[in-house]
Amino acid sequence: MSTPFPPIRRTPTTRRRSALKPWHYMPYVFVAPFFILFLSFGLFPLLFSAYASFFRWELSSGLAGMKWEGWGNYAFVLQLDALPWKQFFTGAFWSELHGLDFWRALYNTFWLGFASGLPQHLIAIPLAYFIHMKFRRARNPAIAMYFLPYITNTVAITLVFSSLFSRDFGVINQVLTGLAHFDVAGVRPLAWLFPDQNIDWGRPEYTRPIVAFIIWWRFVGWNTVLYLSALQTIPKDLYEAATIDGAGLWQQFRYITLPMLRPMILFAVTLTIIGNLQLFEEPFILTGGSGGVGQVAETVAMQMYKVGLTDGDFGTASAVAWLMFMVIAALTWLNNRYLGKKD
Amino acid sequence: MSASTSLLPPVALTPARARRRAWRNPVAWVPYALVLLGAVIMLVPFYFMFVFATHTNTEILSVPPPLWFGDAFLDNVRALVAERPHFWRSLGLSLWIAGAATVLNLFFCSLGGYGFSMYEFPGKNALFGGLMATMLLPAFVGMIPFVLLMKELDWLNTTRALIVPGACSAFGVFLMRQYIGSAVPRELVEAARMDGCGEFGIYWRVVVPLIGPAMGTLGLVTFIGAYNNFVGALLVMSDVDMFTAPLVLRSLQGTGQTPWGAISAGSAITVLPLLVLFVLYSRRLIEGLTAGAVKG
Amino acid sequence: MGFISKAGSAGLLVSAVFGAQAQTTVLTVASFKDLDRSVLAAIPLYKKARPDVEIKLVSLGYGDHHNAMTTALATGANLPDVMGIEIGFVAKMAEGGGVEDLSKAPYDANALRPKFFKFASAQATSRGGIFAAVPADIGPGALFYRKDLMDKAGITEAQLTQSWDSYIEAGKTLKAKTGAYLIPNAGTIKDILLRSGLKDGEGIYFDDKGKVLVDSPRFVRAFETAKKARAAGIDAKVGAWSNEWSEGFKRGTVASEMMGAWLAGHLKNWIAPETAGQWRSATLPGGLSASWGGSFYAIPKAAKNKAAAWDFIKFMTTNKEVQIAAFRELDAFPALVEATNDPFVDQPMPFLGGQVARKQWKATAAAIPATAVDRLDPVAAEVIAAEFDKVLEQDKPVAAALADAKKAIERRVRR
Repeated sequence: MSTPFPPIRRTPTTRRRSALKPWHYMPYVFVAPFFILFLSFGLFPLLFSAYASFFRWELSSGLAGMKWEGWGNYAFVLQLDALPWKQFFTGAFWSELHGLDFWRALYNTFWLGFASGLPQHLIAIPLAYFIHMKFRRARNPAIAMYFLPYITNTVAITLVFSSLFSRDFGVINQVLTGLAHFDVAGVRPLAWLFPDQNIDWGRPEYTRPIVAFIIWWRFVGWNTVLYLSALQTIPKDLYEAATIDGAGLWQQFRYITLPMLRPMILFAVTLTIIGNLQLFEEPFILTGGSGGVGQVAETVAMQMYKVGLTDGDFGTASAVAWLMFMVIAALTWLNNRYLGKKD
Repeated sequence: MSASTSLLPPVALTPARARRRAWRNPVAWVPYALVLLGAVIMLVPFYFMFVFATHTNTEILSVPPPLWFGDAFLDNVRALVAERPHFWRSLGLSLWIAGAATVLNLFFCSLGGYGFSMYEFPGKNALFGGLMATMLLPAFVGMIPFVLLMKELDWLNTTRALIVPGACSAFGVFLMRQYIGSAVPRELVEAARMDGCGEFGIYWRVVVPLIGPAMGTLGLVTFIGAYNNFVGALLVMSDVDMFTAPLVLRSLQGTGQTPWGAISAGSAITVLPLLVLFVLYSRRLIEGLTAGAVKG
Repeated sequence: MGFISKAGSAGLLVSAVFGAQAQTTVLTVASFKDLDRSVLAAIPLYKKARPDVEIKLVSLGYGDHHNAMTTALATGANLPDVMGIEIGFVAKMAEGGGVEDLSKAPYDANALRPKFFKFASAQATSRGGIFAAVPADIGPGALFYRKDLMDKAGITEAQLTQSWDSYIEAGKTLKAKTGAYLIPNAGTIKDILLRSGLKDGEGIYFDDKGKVLVDSPRFVRAFETAKKARAAGIDAKVGAWSNEWSEGFKRGTVASEMMGAWLAGHLKNWIAPETAGQWRSATLPGGLSASWGGSFYAIPKAAKNKAAAWDFIKFMTTNKEVQIAAFRELDAFPALVEATNDPFVDQPMPFLGGQVARKQWKATAAAIPATAVDRLDPVAAEVIAAEFDKVLEQDKPVAAALADAKKAIERRVRR
C-alpha cells in the first residue's frame, strides 16, 4: 500500500533543508488529545486500582483502612491450590471448577459472551447486507427498529421484560401456549413445537439463555448499524459489474462484501469481545444481583461488584479486574491475529 | 476478488429486473418475513415501555398487562414532576453533557483516527496498542480513584467532570481509524498535500466530508452512552440539582410501591431526544450512500 | 463622590441587615426511596422548631444510595451531614468506622437507648460497642392471613400460630379444601426460623469470635422445616414483590404471608385493596418475634455540620410527634417506644376487619431479641439463600448444603 507521505526526494534543496516536515510531527499533534486526556484522567485510576489490588480494603472505612496483602488477593481469587488437577481427565473437573467462584464466573462470562455474541454477528452481517441491498424506502424504519434496543436504558426495560417473562401472566407464555393450543378443526398442528404449559422462566436452566437473549436483543442492532455504515464504503460499481457478469446476491456477498467488510468485522468482534467479557448490567439487573440459582449467570464483573461492595473487599475486586484485563488482552490479541489483515 | 462466472444467460440482469423477478418468487419473501419478525422482537419491549407510560400503576401491574395506549400519560408526568421537581432540569443537564461530550469526541476522535490511519510515524504501533489497552480494564475498579481525582480537582458536582475525562474515547479513535482507513483513498490525501493543503487542512477539507456515516455513528453512540450513563453521575454528583435524568428515574425505585407509571413516563420522555437524534442520523446514512456513489 | 459614599454606606447598611439573617445552616440529608418520605414529612415540622436550618434532601434509589454512600465514605467526597441507612447496610457502616460513634461525647446517645425498642438500637451497634446509627423505624413481623379463606377451610388462627408443624398441617388442609396456597415462598419459613431461639447478644450467622454458625441445629431445623413446607405443596413458589406474588394476594390464591407490619399498608394501598376487611394479623407461628427491615440515621465522621445533624436526627427519632406523623401517614412503625403509646395504636384498622393490630405489633416489637449484628451478615445471608435454593430446586441434602455454605462463607469472609 502506498504511504501517504511522499518519499524524501534527494534533490539538492531537500538535502540542505532540515528533515522535519509537517507530516512528520503533525500525527503526534493529532493523536495527542487522547493521550493527554488519558494521562490526566485515565492513568491515575489505572495505577490506583493496580496498587489497591495488593491491599485488603473495606471501602466504608476510608483510605486509612487499607491493609497490605501482597499477592494474597490474587491467590485468593485464583484458588490455584483448590483446582481439582487430579480430576483433570474426568468429567468431574468441570463440575468441580463450578464450585470455585472466579472460575465459575469466568465460565459464565464466556458462555454468555458466546451465546449472545456469536448470534449478534451471524445475524447482523447478513441483515445489514440485506437491508443495504434490498431496502430502499423502508431502510430507515428497518434500521430504526433494530437499533431501538440499544437506545433504551436497562431501568425501563427491566420492568417490561419481567412483565413479558412472567410465568403465569406474561405475554410470551400466553403467545407460546396460545400457539400450542391453536387448533384447526380439532387438530393442533403446532403442539409439537410449542409448550403446552406456561414456562417458568425463573428456573435456573433458563436463566443463562434468557440473559443471553436479552444481551443479543440489545446489541444486534448496534452491530447491524456498524456493518451498514461499513457497507457504504464499498463502491457500488463493484456490485454493478458483478451483476452484469451474472453473479447472484449470495455470490456477491461472499466474494465482494465479506472481504471488504473484514476490517469492520475485526473491529466489531473486538468490541464484542471486550464488551462481553465486562458484562455487568444485564445479568445483574435481570437476576436481581444474585446471578440466578447456583449463580449460573454471575459474570466476572458481577463478582467484582459483589466482592468489592458486599463482601467489603475492594482490593480483591481490583485483583479480579486486573486478571480480567489479562484475559481480555489475550483474547483481543488472538482475535487480531486471526481476523486481522496484515496492514 | 473475482465474481465467479455462472451459467446464467447473457441477458443483463439489471437491478430493476432482478427486483421484479424476486417478487414473483415466494421463497424470496422468507428473508423479508424474518427481518420483519426480528424487527417485531426488537420493538416489543420498547413498545410496552411507551404503553406503560400511558397507564396507571394498577393498570400496569394488572393481568394481562395493557396492550394499547391508555390516557394516564399526563397524570404520570404530573406525578413524576411532583415527586421529582428537578426532573426537567436533569433532562436539560443530560442533554448538555451528552451534547458537549459528543462534539468533543467527534472532533478529537476523528483527528486521532486520521493520525493513526493516514500517517506512519515512529512509535505508532506502540501508541495504538496502548490506546487499545486502555479499553480492556473493567471500569468498575476505576470508580473510587476517579472520585478521588475529581475531589482533588474540585470538580465534584460539576458537569465538566462528566464531559472532559471522556472527551476522546479509545473506542472512537479505534472506529475512526478503521473507517478512515477504508473510506479515504490515500491518493486523495497525497493530492491534497501536493496542492499545498496543510496537514490540518487535509483533515478538515478532505477527510471530514468523506466520513459522514462514521461521524454519524460515533456521534450517535457517544451521545447515547453519555446520556444514559448513570454511574458517573452517581459518583460525582451529590447535589440534587445536578442529577442527570437516569439518576432521577432510578431514584424512584424503592421496595414495594414503585411508581411504574411515572418511571415509564419519565423513561419515554427521556428516550425521545435519542429517537430524534437517530432519525437525523439515519438520514445522514443515506447521504453517505450517495456521496459514496460519487467517489471512486 | 458624595453619591458614591452614600451608596457605599447604604450598601454597608443593607449588607449588615442581611448579614445578620445569613446564619442559615444548610443541612444535607441523604436518603433513599421510601425513607425519604419520612424526611419530607418531618421537614415542615422541623422548620417550625428551627427556622434557621435549611434542609436539603438528596434522595436516590435504594441500591444507588447505598453505593453512593459507600463510595463517599471511601473517598471522603460528597458526604452528607445526615446519612439514612437501611438494615442491610447498617452493620457494615458501624464496623467500618466511617461514621461517628454516637455513644461518645458530644452525642452521648447511650442515654437515649432506653427510648427505643431494644432490638432496634442493638442492630445499629457493632460488637465493639460503637453505636453507629439511631433507629428511625422498624418492621415488627406479623402473620397476615385471609380470614375468609381460613374459615372456608375450617382453620382457626390458633392452628396457624401454635407451632410450625400445625402451620404446615393447616396449609395442607387449606390446599385440599380451597385450592389456595398458604404462603408465597417456603424461603420465608427458613428466614424466620433462622432467627428463632436467639438470645440477646447472639448473632444469627456469626458468633462473637467470628465463627460461622451455619451448621448448628438452628440452621438444620430452619432448612428442614422449609423443605417440609415445599414438599407439602403449600407454597406458591413465587418471589416476593413479583407479579405473581401480588396477583396471588389479589386473586386469593395465596392465603397468608409473613412480613413486617408495613405489609398491611401495601396490601391496602395497591396490592389487593379489594380484599379490605378480609385480612387479619397474627403473631408468627411458634411464638416467634422477628423484624423485617428498619431504617437508621448516622453522621459521617467527615460531615460538615455535625451538631446540626445530631439535632435533626434527634428530632426525627425521639420526637413523638414526628414519629407518629410518619406512622400515621406512611405506615412507618416507630422505633420510639413512646410513640407507640399514642391512642392511634389503639384504633381499629378497617382493612384488617377492625382488628387493633398495632397493639399486637407493639407487643411483638418489645419481644424481639437484641441480636448481635455483623457487617458480613449480608454475605452469609446471600450464601445461605443460594444453598437453600439448591436444596429446594435441586434436591440437595440439607447437611451437604449447610456444609458447603459454611465453606463458602468462611472463604468469602477470610477470617
